[in-house]
Amino acid sequence: MRKVFIILGLIAALLAVILSVLPLSNLAFIPAILALLFGIIALYLFNKSGASKKIIYYIFLLTIISLVFATYKSIFSEPEVVNMEELQEKENESKQEAIDELEELNIDAEDLEDINLEE
Amino acid sequence: MCRITIALVFFFSFFVHAQNNAVGTNEKLVFTASYNMSGILNNLAEVRMETSEVKTSQTTLLRLKCTASTFSKWDHFFKIRDLYESYVSPTTLKPYLYKRDINEGSYFKAMKYTYNHKTNTIKTLQQKKKKDGTIWDENKTISVQSQTKDIVSTLYGIRTLDYSNMTIGKSTEMIIVFDREEVKAHITYLGKENISTVLGNTSCYKLSISTNKVDVLKGTNSNVIWLTADENKIPVFATFKIAVGNGELKLKSATGLRH
Repeated sequence: MRKVFIILGLIAALLAVILSVLPLSNLAFIPAILALLFGIIALYLFNKSGASKKIIYYIFLLTIISLVFATYKSIFSEPEVVNMEELQEKENESKQEAIDELEELNIDAEDLEDINLEE
Repeated sequence: MCRITIALVFFFSFFVHAQNNAVGTNEKLVFTASYNMSGILNNLAEVRMETSEVKTSQTTLLRLKCTASTFSKWDHFFKIRDLYESYVSPTTLKPYLYKRDINEGSYFKAMKYTYNHKTNTIKTLQQKKKKDGTIWDENKTISVQSQTKDIVSTLYGIRTLDYSNMTIGKSTEMIIVFDREEVKAHITYLGKENISTVLGNTSCYKLSISTNKVDVLKGTNSNVIWLTADENKIPVFATFKIAVGNGELKLKSATGLRH
């Protein structure tokens, strides 16, 4: 039973570390909490048997690392959009093309009587 | 991701036919789109809605532009750079030209609608990228109903409706042309509600949206949009549920408002 909780704890802790460094860092909290639970249960079982607890401390260490990463990213990392030059260029090209096409259209003048929207 | 983008746009869109007293000529709304993954919301993309005047030799039109761009942290996984435009009458938001340019990873698709309101037809041009990288053009003229609009012009058009005298539960049918097909959508007024937004604690009109196209929006009252209960009627918050999950759209900033 102890080994089962240690294996589960290790898997959950490793998953938490991997998720914490990916863009999905918010999801790292789920396996991190599970790893903590498994680690605490394993620690309780080890206390009863008196065996070495080194491996359990590794679970806690990995969990803390993942929680620190995920918390830091969720608080301090502001999502931003980069590499917009291509889209902006496309927007400008599209606008110019649209103007050329609109020139060819017979637009109903009634709809466009009041073109000034600013009050 | 394409489904998410389509759903987001559909989510906002329904038919209206009213004078424009809400949308200004230099408006800029920025939203953060979040997607629910295992119960946790992740910021996925930035959605921008901008307006500007476009002058031709004969007249001046209003350009309604919507863009969706994934945040940089997602660009390595799936990069999205989508552009939607509609060129409309500034007074009625009646559309004359619609353009859509989808770039999602290796997927590319472009669509152009040129409206003929006299014959109630739309001349369409669809462009798709083949596997060998060449672009495939397809021209088609479709007949539509007189009130049919594209998704961008209806997206802005919802703000021209008068909700102040609307009774709770009132439903309106709208017709949107998307992917060269007319889609019926229903908008139901759910009443007024105060919600916390970037503009502060704001009084909003709460609206539920559904369509007859079952693969776009799911659930009843799961797709809800909140418009500020003032003269601008800007969208400040939205929740959506689609085939591949659910998420929300939250206003990040609003500048150049008309009122």
